[in-house]
Amino acid sequence: MISQFFILSSKGDPLIYKDFRGDSGGRDVAELFYRKLTGLPGDESPVVMYHEDRHFIHIRHSGLYLVATTSENVSPFSLLELLSRLATLLGDYCGSLSEGTISRNVALVYELLDEVLDYGYVQTTSTEMLRNFIQTEAVVSKPFSLFDLSSVGLFGAETQQSKVAPSSAASRPVLSSRSDQSQKNEVFLDVVERLSVLIASNGSPLKVDVQGELRLKSFLPSGSEMRIGLTEEFCVGKSELRGYGPGIRVDEVSFHSSVNLDEFESHRILRLQPPQGELTVMRYQLSDDLPSPLPFRLFPSVQWDQGSGRLQIYLKLRCDLPPKSQAVNIRLHLPLPRGVVSLSQELSSPEQKAELGEGALHWDLPRIQGGSQLSGLFQMDVPSSLGASGHGPSTSSPPLGLGPASLSFELPRHTCSGLQVRFLRLTFRPSGNANPHKWVRHLSHSDAYVIRI
Amino acid sequence: MTDSKYFTTTKKGEIFELKAELNSDKKEKKKEAVKKVIASMTVGKDVSALFPDVVNCMQTDNLELKKLVYLYLMNYAKSQPDMAIMAVNTFVKDCEDPNPLIRALAVRTMGCIRVDKITEYLCEPLRKCLKDEDPYVRKTAAVCVAKLHDINAQLVEDQGFLDTLKDLISDSNPMVVANAVAALSEIAESHPSSNLLDLNPQSINKLLTALNECTEWGQIFILDCLANYTPKDDREAQSICERVTPRLSHANSAVVLSAVKVLMKFMEMLSKDLDYYGTLLKKLAPPLVTLLSAEPELQYVALRNINLIVQKRPEILKHEMKVFFVKYNDPIYVKLEKLDIMIRLASQANIAQVLAELKEYATEVDVDFVRKAVRAIGRCAIKVEQSAERCVSTLLDLIQTKVNYVVQEAIVVIKDIFRKYPNKYESVIATLCENLDSLDEPEARAAMIWIVGEYAERIDNADELLESFLEGFHDESTQVQLQLLTAIVKLFLKKPTETQELVQQVLSLATQDSDNPDLRDRGYIYWRLLSTDPVAAKEVVLAEKPLISEETDLIEPTLLDELICYIGTLASVYHKPPSAFVEGGRGVVHKSLPPRTASNESTESPETAPAGAPTGEQPDVIPTQGDLLGDLLNLDLGPPVSGPPLATSSVQMGAVDLLGGGLDSLMGDEPEGIGDTNFGAPPPAAPARVGAPIGSGLSDLFDLTSGVGTLSGSYVAPKTVWLPAMKAKGLEISGTFTRQVGSISMDLQLTNKALQVMTDFAIQFNRNSFGLAPAAPLQVHAPLSPNQTVEISLPLNTVGSVMKMDPLNNLQVAVKNNIDIFYFSTLYPLHILFVEDGKMDRQMFLATWKDIPNENEAQFQIRDCSLNAEAVSTKLQSSNIFTIAKRNVEGQDMLYQSLKLTNGIWVLAELRIQPGNPSFMLSLKCRAPEVSQHVYQAYETILKN
Repeated sequence: MISQFFILSSKGDPLIYKDFRGDSGGRDVAELFYRKLTGLPGDESPVVMYHEDRHFIHIRHSGLYLVATTSENVSPFSLLELLSRLATLLGDYCGSLSEGTISRNVALVYELLDEVLDYGYVQTTSTEMLRNFIQTEAVVSKPFSLFDLSSVGLFGAETQQSKVAPSSAASRPVLSSRSDQSQKNEVFLDVVERLSVLIASNGSPLKVDVQGELRLKSFLPSGSEMRIGLTEEFCVGKSELRGYGPGIRVDEVSFHSSVNLDEFESHRILRLQPPQGELTVMRYQLSDDLPSPLPFRLFPSVQWDQGSGRLQIYLKLRCDLPPKSQAVNIRLHLPLPRGVVSLSQELSSPEQKAELGEGALHWDLPRIQGGSQLSGLFQMDVPSSLGASGHGPSTSSPPLGLGPASLSFELPRHTCSGLQVRFLRLTFRPSGNANPHKWVRHLSHSDAYVIRI
Repeated sequence: MTDSKYFTTTKKGEIFELKAELNSDKKEKKKEAVKKVIASMTVGKDVSALFPDVVNCMQTDNLELKKLVYLYLMNYAKSQPDMAIMAVNTFVKDCEDPNPLIRALAVRTMGCIRVDKITEYLCEPLRKCLKDEDPYVRKTAAVCVAKLHDINAQLVEDQGFLDTLKDLISDSNPMVVANAVAALSEIAESHPSSNLLDLNPQSINKLLTALNECTEWGQIFILDCLANYTPKDDREAQSICERVTPRLSHANSAVVLSAVKVLMKFMEMLSKDLDYYGTLLKKLAPPLVTLLSAEPELQYVALRNINLIVQKRPEILKHEMKVFFVKYNDPIYVKLEKLDIMIRLASQANIAQVLAELKEYATEVDVDFVRKAVRAIGRCAIKVEQSAERCVSTLLDLIQTKVNYVVQEAIVVIKDIFRKYPNKYESVIATLCENLDSLDEPEARAAMIWIVGEYAERIDNADELLESFLEGFHDESTQVQLQLLTAIVKLFLKKPTETQELVQQVLSLATQDSDNPDLRDRGYIYWRLLSTDPVAAKEVVLAEKPLISEETDLIEPTLLDELICYIGTLASVYHKPPSAFVEGGRGVVHKSLPPRTASNESTESPETAPAGAPTGEQPDVIPTQGDLLGDLLNLDLGPPVSGPPLATSSVQMGAVDLLGGGLDSLMGDEPEGIGDTNFGAPPPAAPARVGAPIGSGLSDLFDLTSGVGTLSGSYVAPKTVWLPAMKAKGLEISGTFTRQVGSISMDLQLTNKALQVMTDFAIQFNRNSFGLAPAAPLQVHAPLSPNQTVEISLPLNTVGSVMKMDPLNNLQVAVKNNIDIFYFSTLYPLHILFVEDGKMDRQMFLATWKDIPNENEAQFQIRDCSLNAEAVSTKLQSSNIFTIAKRNVEGQDMLYQSLKLTNGIWVLAELRIQPGNPSFMLSLKCRAPEVSQHVYQAYETILKN
């Protein structure tokens, strides 16, 4: 049971404030929250905060704070889920979630809140269901243009893509219902995988985890029905195997409750009537055995002369993707011993960049083609005060504070699990208008790709 | 339209402008005006002056405008109650509108206006809406009942809304059901006694059906409600579990956790042998693992819950160690939580893997995390004995890095390892001493000093080391000062010749130059100990310390069980029961896990524990640990305590008076013996003497005086379990009381059902009604190895301190061993207190019988006893109940008997036996009538065995 809900700007100004239970405290609560949040010491968890019989739970989304308060022993999961759903909903209705869109649409936001929460009880968070009740129309700042291709990106994933999809297409209100029809005929389907990998210093993977999602954002009129065909070799669980080729196997799958799975067992086809707005159709995860090799291998060699305090690091980064694929926006982050000064570098290609910052080495590589490798040689001086006495024999063991290296990257048009969407077909279109635009995109990106040195 | 349209700065006359626009004829203009008003309201401007104008816009067909006006009303009605009344008519009218959206809107808004005058008008429309044909209206009305209840609970009850709400649980629309359940749950929380949510198999069935159909949020309400239900047997629990399990794969983590809560709770009722139990365990792991791939905030909340689950049922996640490995980019609060869970899951099977990880973490950059990682290595050593050696060598490696905070942290944990495995890893001390100079944190300094003091005899230059600390004594923190004082005293006791000067120096620093009372007091204690009795000082200061165990950082089992009932709530994040943080009395009904119903196995849940233990009346005697602790352990049980407990001066005089009522003139011609031990003033010498000689002296004494007593001694009850193994970390105690030739003893049987050897047993009694106390220390000669049983007879005396207990014969006992201290209480049969010289002179008997007022007479019936008067008399005599006279009146045998308790209370009895009738009549007269009941029980026990 939620007592209050409010949205604060990044500077702490209340944009929306709603009280569901007639609690005392009023608006000061929002201020109190902000003061508490900004006064937090580093390691305290800000997830749940507690102040005088009031619990604050918040998430940060697009620079805004979405905060719920309660005075009872409720489920923090439901509050967190609710807040992230609200963020999605507000995005669906107002176009995108930002200080500007919220303050332009105050009345709409209140109306939404009234339908989503009654007396602090969550009623529904489905965009589709709420359509029946919401009267106010969103105020949009700029008229949307399909041809506005100025910036490129996926909705949801903060990432870049080489295949062009209009970015603003995904950031307009789903429900600008009474605007002209021709623009709304679009559907976006993304297969996004997050890769978290831990590689031991001897190069053997200790842990490999892939979390994948099928995300759909639909602007189709409601009532449309679609079929999504997945790779047929797709199998779930450890034992099952399908087809003759190397199966595409995941450990666990969960589906959105609106997905019809009649054809899933036989043909790996998902059938659904997507509501307008964003929807996670399927979630899956896979750990340990990947069908394909890991995308990157790092071969470090470290020379450390304790006497002179000279540290030399040679890094060779090999990309094991198929030759046609490439990785983009690669950044290697390598923590260094404290007090490192003076970096000198030799990089294998001119487009790379390396710099020192915040006690770490950052090595940026705009892109690597599959099958190729890049290298960099870095030399640094470590003030000898850290090494102290100097009588230690260890010239081989690296100084403390070095590593582990972590990589961030994006792999466009590549899924680590091998899962592909074979087709996306609209089986039923209520209004029978022109062929809709369908965008299917695949992407993997790093969540935590850590290599120990 | 521009962004700043609604946010222009306040100009003079802005309100006026808005007023004009609100009263405009054009709908669009009105709408825009209300929007502006609401925007101003949001940023905190006072637009209450526009109340009448806004309310005027209320009567409109335009739903959008109506909603906006209602929004405004909700905000300002409270501050303008008189004006709000103006809106009531429209509300009531809207509740009958043909459009269900408007009906629902009206009833919802009225519930949000917390003005008494309006609520009066709410009842009729609400009643209609609760029965509305449209489910949207019904679900809104259901919530409205909860709102109204919050404002005026009495009104809701009087109007019978609660019954209507209960009917809605059977509604055809799942959304309505969910809201009705939510509303009822909340109302029920404020009336814990009321049976609002009457959960029975039928209603549970309905809820389970609705569960499959309603929205994810409704599922949460229903699951939370299910968790409050207690199935009647394991079969029902299993069938509910089966129907809840599919929720585990839901995409909404709140649904998953609520389902986990239900399952964890009901699993308690399932037998572990059941196949289904194993299946369920397997099914619980994947959803929990999945939660760890969510956003960090959710991960954190999930980890806090998993931390509880792992403590309760480690088997669920025992194979999932890897998912708790820390990711480089996890936020620190997630990292720390993962670390904690890793240690809880650590076992011999995976310890190598865990240690390798921890060592890796210890070289990271984040200082806080590194410290915790080092600490974790120490905890692993304490938890998994086989790994201790490896942990110590890992810690030594880390010390070699010479990184200041790593070294300090390592020394702190090595101290703990020494506490757990004494005399095993002393070889590392040399390495530790090398780092003495680099320690700058109090905790590390104190730990190092402790180590030096503890192992002073093995460190050649211990005195120099400690002396070096002494130089800046007054700049140290209290923790270090105290530790230094103790360490130097230890050193002195171990090497008295060389360190006399040092100890004098530290004592004078502590007692004369310090203004810290703790330090001064400790200094004085040592000083006096050393000056009066160095041998005693050695015993005190160098006493063996109890080993520490990893259980010290586990959540206490009862709290854990309670928290398991709150999985997926804030309580599980704070790891505190809701009563600790929920406002007022709401929702603080204590929840507990259901007891296991299948009784064919030895149960595990604490609630059913006493099932195998003594008798039915026992359980309510057992006090909570908290109470006991205060009473029992004024003394530290640390070093084995022997002899009777110290007679403290706080003997409750009230209790003494009550019990001592029988001590009047009767005591006058008492022969000397133990009987005259007046417990009001226990012999002052008692504490100083060791118990054993007293005990034997007593029995000598009685050998002389108890000419009458038979040698066989009084009746001995069979042994019963006093302390079940599961409550005492594997130690099972059963026992009974005996009285033989004048001495009382407690026959104990100790069984070690744990996996480790038990040593260092000690026992102590709480003060009790008759001053029972051990006359000798509990002597278990050899360590008790697993599955071994040992029988001990512990002699007791009655010179301990006295406090009236309820019931009178309640005895609270503390038993200590190397693992922990355990508490239990038992009832002793009163006849062990009947002394051998309890035969009263005939004349005296008559006089006393008359002298005791009649209201002190108590009558009892002893049924089903087929003995004749002779046999009865003999039998009772062997338990020191003496027959003084026997008469035959009208065919009935009348036996006149007397007995005396150890504290000198006389009890006189008249036993009427009718030949052929198995029921005897017993009349008891005593100056302390509260003993009568227990004397009667003693009669029963003796005669029937």
